[in-house]
Amino acid sequence: MAALTEPYPQPRSLAAPGAAEGALSWIATVDHKRIGILYLATSTVFFLIGGLEALLMRTQLAAPRAGVLGPDAYNRIFTMHGTTMIFLAIMPLGLGFANYLVPLMIGARDMAFPRLNALSYWLFLFGGVLLHLSILGGGAPDAGWFSYVPLSTPPFSTHLGLDYWVLGLLGSSVGTIATAINLVVTVVTLRAPGMTASRLPVFVWMSLITGVLILGAMPSLAAAQIMLLLDRRVGTHFFDVRAGGDPLLWQHLFWFFGHPEVYILILPPFGMISEIIPVFSRKPIFGYAFVVGSGIAIAFYSFLTWAHHMFATGLGFLANSFFSATTMIIAVPTGIKIFSWLATMWRGRLRFTTAMLFAISFIVVFTIGGISGVHFAMVPLDWQTTDTYYVVAHFHYVMVGGSLMALLAATYYWFSKITGRLLDETLGKWQFWLTQIGFNLTFFPMHFLGLMGMPRRVYTYPDLPGWGALNLLQTIGAYVLGASILVLLWNLYRSLRRGPAAGDNPWDAWTLEWATGSPPPEHNFTTLPPITSVRPLWDAARAVAPHPRPPTPASSGSSPPGQGLSGAEGPARPDGRGGEARSFDRISSPVLGTLSLVASEVIFFGALIVTYLEYRTRSVSGPHPDVLDVPRTALFSLALFASSATMAVADRQLGRADSRGLVAWLLATIALGAIFLAGQGAEYLRLIAEGVTIERNLFTAAFYTLTGFHGLHVTAGIVALAVLAWMAAAGDFRQRRRHAAVQSVSLYWHFVDVVWVVIFSVVYLWNLL
Amino acid sequence: MATRRAGPAGARRAGEGGLSRIAAGRRATRVAAGSGVTRVIRARRGARLTRLRWLTRAGRPAAARIAVAAGAGSVLGTAGCRVAIESFDPITARGLAIANLFGLTLALSAAVLVLVAGLTVYVLARYREPGRGARQERGDQAPPQIEGDRRLEIGWTVAPVLLLGALFLLTIRTMSTVAAPERPEAAALRIEVVGHQWWWEFRYPDLGVVTANELHVPVGTPLRLDLTAGDVIHSFWVPRLGWKLDAVPGRTNTMWLRVDRAGTYDGACTEFCGVQHAWMRVRLVAQSSGDFERWLQQQRTSTVEPPPGQESLVARGQQVFLRSTCVNCHTVQGTAAAGRVGPDLTHVGSRQTLGAGIEPNTPEVLRRWVQNAQSVKPGVLMPSYRFSDDDLTALVAYLSALK
Repeated sequence: MAALTEPYPQPRSLAAPGAAEGALSWIATVDHKRIGILYLATSTVFFLIGGLEALLMRTQLAAPRAGVLGPDAYNRIFTMHGTTMIFLAIMPLGLGFANYLVPLMIGARDMAFPRLNALSYWLFLFGGVLLHLSILGGGAPDAGWFSYVPLSTPPFSTHLGLDYWVLGLLGSSVGTIATAINLVVTVVTLRAPGMTASRLPVFVWMSLITGVLILGAMPSLAAAQIMLLLDRRVGTHFFDVRAGGDPLLWQHLFWFFGHPEVYILILPPFGMISEIIPVFSRKPIFGYAFVVGSGIAIAFYSFLTWAHHMFATGLGFLANSFFSATTMIIAVPTGIKIFSWLATMWRGRLRFTTAMLFAISFIVVFTIGGISGVHFAMVPLDWQTTDTYYVVAHFHYVMVGGSLMALLAATYYWFSKITGRLLDETLGKWQFWLTQIGFNLTFFPMHFLGLMGMPRRVYTYPDLPGWGALNLLQTIGAYVLGASILVLLWNLYRSLRRGPAAGDNPWDAWTLEWATGSPPPEHNFTTLPPITSVRPLWDAARAVAPHPRPPTPASSGSSPPGQGLSGAEGPARPDGRGGEARSFDRISSPVLGTLSLVASEVIFFGALIVTYLEYRTRSVSGPHPDVLDVPRTALFSLALFASSATMAVADRQLGRADSRGLVAWLLATIALGAIFLAGQGAEYLRLIAEGVTIERNLFTAAFYTLTGFHGLHVTAGIVALAVLAWMAAAGDFRQRRRHAAVQSVSLYWHFVDVVWVVIFSVVYLWNLL
Repeated sequence: MATRRAGPAGARRAGEGGLSRIAAGRRATRVAAGSGVTRVIRARRGARLTRLRWLTRAGRPAAARIAVAAGAGSVLGTAGCRVAIESFDPITARGLAIANLFGLTLALSAAVLVLVAGLTVYVLARYREPGRGARQERGDQAPPQIEGDRRLEIGWTVAPVLLLGALFLLTIRTMSTVAAPERPEAAALRIEVVGHQWWWEFRYPDLGVVTANELHVPVGTPLRLDLTAGDVIHSFWVPRLGWKLDAVPGRTNTMWLRVDRAGTYDGACTEFCGVQHAWMRVRLVAQSSGDFERWLQQQRTSTVEPPPGQESLVARGQQVFLRSTCVNCHTVQGTAAAGRVGPDLTHVGSRQTLGAGIEPNTPEVLRRWVQNAQSVKPGVLMPSYRFSDDDLTALVAYLSALK
C-alpha cells in the first residue's frame, strides 16, 4: 500500500489541488465530486427540516389529546415529513454518494454527461425549494406523501399546497431520471480498462440497479401527477367518482412507482454496507455473485409487488394471492444479502470503527424491518395491520434502521475521502449509541401500538390504556435520536474545521476511490493500479512487483475510455488501452443515454395508455370514442410513419459522409413530422368546435392527455432534428465526428413513431372493430 | 384442538366479563359525568382491564402468546401499565384464524431474528480484531480470504423459499376463510357501512334503521357489512374483529363475519381522509339477541314522547330544530327533517359519544357542539350557529331526549 500511495500528494486543505474556488465555482461546476457534495449538503439540510417536522409530530403525540398542533397543522407536517424524507433527503443522499463515488470507483474521469449531471442537481434543488414555497403560497400540502384521490382533488382539496407538491416533485423527478440515465451510461461505458462486470464494486452495481429502477418507476408517478394536476387545475375528471373515475387507478400508478421507490431508497445503502463490512472484516464480500444477483432480483420483483399496498381496498382473491406471492419472494434475495454480510464477517478480523458499527447495526435492525415486511405480504395479516402504527414501525425500521444507518456508516467511511479529514471516532461512538437507543425507543413500541389499535396519520388519540405511555416513550426516543444527529453535526463541523488529515486510504480499503488523493484531484486519477479483481488495491499491495500504470485517457461525453459490458474479461493490458476500440464499436454513451430515456418514456406512455384503456368507455355521460375521425387521422399518421423512413435514409447519408444529402433528408423528416402535427392540430380544432373538450368526461381527458403528450414529444423531436440539420449544414458531422448525436436523435424519432403506432391502434383503429 | 374446545367456554366467560364491564363502564360514566372525558374513559378501561387478560384467556393462539409476551413484557413493563393487545384477542372466528396465523408467523419471525442477531453477536465477540500486542505476537496476518461457498449460498436461498412457501399456503388458506360468505348467506343481517368525512353511517336496510358511529350487532348472527364511502376513501377497522376493509367511493366491499362475544369494542377509520381523520372513530356494540331486539325496538320508535314536566322545553326544542337550518343536513324520522348530509339524529340521545368519538354525549358537550362545533372538533363540516340561550337550552333538551 505504502508504495502505491507514495506518488500522490497528500492534500492538507479541503479544496482539491488546482480546483477553482469561490461560490461561483460551485454554481458553475460540472465536476461529479462537487455535484455530489452539493447533493449531499442540500439533502442534509432537507433531512434536518424533515427531522424537525418529525420532532414536532412526536411532541404533539407525546400525550393523548395534546394541543401542541391542531389537526390541520399536523396533517400538513406529516405530509411534508414523508415527502421531504423520501424525495429530498434519503433518495438524494443515496444519489449524492453515487454521484461522488461511482466515477471514482470505476476509475473514470467524471460522469458520462457532466452538464446533465449539474442540471439534475439544480432541478432537484428547484423542486425541493418549490415544494417548500407552498408554505408561503397558501399552505403546505396536506394529503400525505401518497396524495390519495379523491381526497387530493376538488372539492376535497382546493388550496394550492397540493399543486406545489405536484410541480415540485415533477421538477425534481425529471432531475432524478436524468441522474439515473447518467448513472447507467457511466457504469456501462466509462469503466477503466480491466473493470469488468464481475469486478465492479457492489456499491456501483447497486447504483446501476437503482438507476434502472428510477427509469422504470418515476415516470409512473409523473403520469399520475399530471392527471392529478389536470383534475385540479383544468377541471378534468380522471379521479372524479361521480364521472365514473376510478380512485384505485391513482393507487395503482402511485404504487407502481412507490414500491420500486422503496428499493431506490435501500439499494444504494445495501451497496454501502457491502463495501464497508468487507473492509473492516479484512475479507472480500462473501458470495459476490449472489449479492449482486440478489440486487438484480430485488429490482425485477419490485415492479411486480405494487398492489400489496392495496390489499385492503378489495382487489379480489386472485390479485391478492399474486401480489402476496411476489412480495414474499422479495424476502429471499434480501435474506441472501443479510447472510452474505454475516458470512463476510465470519472468520474475519473485525475493526469496530464507527462506520463498521453502523453497518453492523444495519444488519440486525434492517432484519426486523424486513421480517415485518413479510407480515405485510401475508394478506390477512396486512388486513389487520395496514394503516396502523405497525406499518409506521415497519417502514421506519427499513428507512431509518436500514437506509439511514447505512448512510451514517457511509458518512463516517467516505467523509475522509470527500474532505480529506477524519471524523472523530469518540464522538462517532457517542452518536452511534445515541442513535441506536433513540431509534429503537422511537420505533419499536409502534409495533405494539399498531397491534393495540392505533391508526396511523392521526393528530391525536383517545386515552386508551397504554397508549399514552407508549407514545410518550416514543417521543423521548425521538428526542434522543434528534440529539444523536446534533452530535453528528458537531462532529462534521469540528472535523471540517480541524479534523486530522485522512491520507489517501485511511481504512486500508481496496476499491479505486482510495487510490487517489483525499479529496481527489479534479481529474480524479493520476495513475490507476491494474484491475484484476474486485479489490484492486488489495491485489496491488500484495503483488510481488506493483507497477502503477500511466493514466488512462480521461474524457467524457462521446468518447469514453471504458469498455462495454461485454468487454474483455481477464487482466487489463499493461498499456492501459484495454478495450476502448471495442466499446466504441458497441454502443456510444449518447445512444445508450437515449435508450435509457426511451425506457423511461415507455413507462410514461404505458401509464397513459393504461389509463386510456380503462377510461375509454367508462364515462357516465358525454362524448364517446366514435367522435374521432379515423380515416383522416390515418392519413396524417402515414406522414409520421414515412418520416421514420426518411430518418433512416438520413442515417445512411451520414454513413456515406454526404452532408448535403443528410441535410435534405433531415429536412424531409421535419416536414413530415410537421404535417403530422398540423393534422393532429386540425383534428383537435374540429373536436373542440364540436364541443369535445378535455374536461367533458373520462374519455376526452384520457384522449387529449395521451395524444397531447405524444404531440409534445413529436415537437421536441422536430426541434432536435432542426438542430441536427443546422449542425449538418455547418459541416459538424464530417470525418465521422459526432455521429452519435444523429444516431441518438434518430433513435428517439423512431421511438416516437412506434408510440404512435400503439396509440393509433388503441385510440383509433379500435373504433373500427 | 384443545384451543378449539376451550373456545366456547372462553367466549362465555368473556361474554359475562363483557356485560359486567359495560355495567362498570356505565357506573364510571355516571360518577365522572361532568368532569374530564379522559377520566371517564380511564375509569371504564380501568374496570375492564384489571389484569393482563390477553395473556391468560383460553382460546388465545398459543404461539402469539409466547412471541408477543416476550417482546411486550419489556416494553410494556417500562410503560408501567396494563394493556390489551387487541389484535390477539379477536371476537370473531375469522379474526381468530388471522390471529393464529399471526402468532405462528411471529414465532417464526422471532426465530429468524434470534438467528440473525445471535450470529451477529457471536461473530462480533469471536472475530474482533485482536489488540496490538496480540497482533504482534501472532504476526499481522490477514484472515483467510474466503470468497464464498456455493453450497451455503444455495442453502440460504432455498431454506427461505421453503419457509415462505409454507407461509404462502397458510396465507391463501386464511384469506379464503376470511373472505368466504357466512352460511347461510340469506340469513345474514345486512348492514350498509358508509364512510363520511368524518363519521360513519350505518344503515340496516332490512330493519329500517339508520344510525351513526355506533354499530349495534347481535352476537352469533351472520353479518354482512357492505362498505362504501360518500366522499373520499375511508377504512373500517374494529381491531378486535380481526381485520379491516376499505370503504371506497363508487365501490362496495363486503365483509362477512359473526361476532362471538358480547361487548363494546372501539375502532377507527384507518385511511387518511382529511382534517379530522383522527376523530372518525367507531364503536361496535355486540349484544345478545334479546338486548339487540330491545335496541331495535327503541330505534324503530321514531316519535319523541316528551317526558312529563319538561314537555314545554322539549317541544320548544323541537320547534327550534325544525325551523333552523339543522334540517338541511340531518334527519329525525317522524318529522320534516330529512337531510342526508350529516348523521341521522333520530336517536342521537342514545349514543355514547359525539363527534365520532371525540367527546362523551353529555348535555354540556352537546350544547357546545350545537353552538360551535368547531370548538369541539376543529375542521368538522358542521357550521356554527347563533342561538339564544333559551333556544339552545331547549334544543339541547330536545336532542338529548331523542333516545
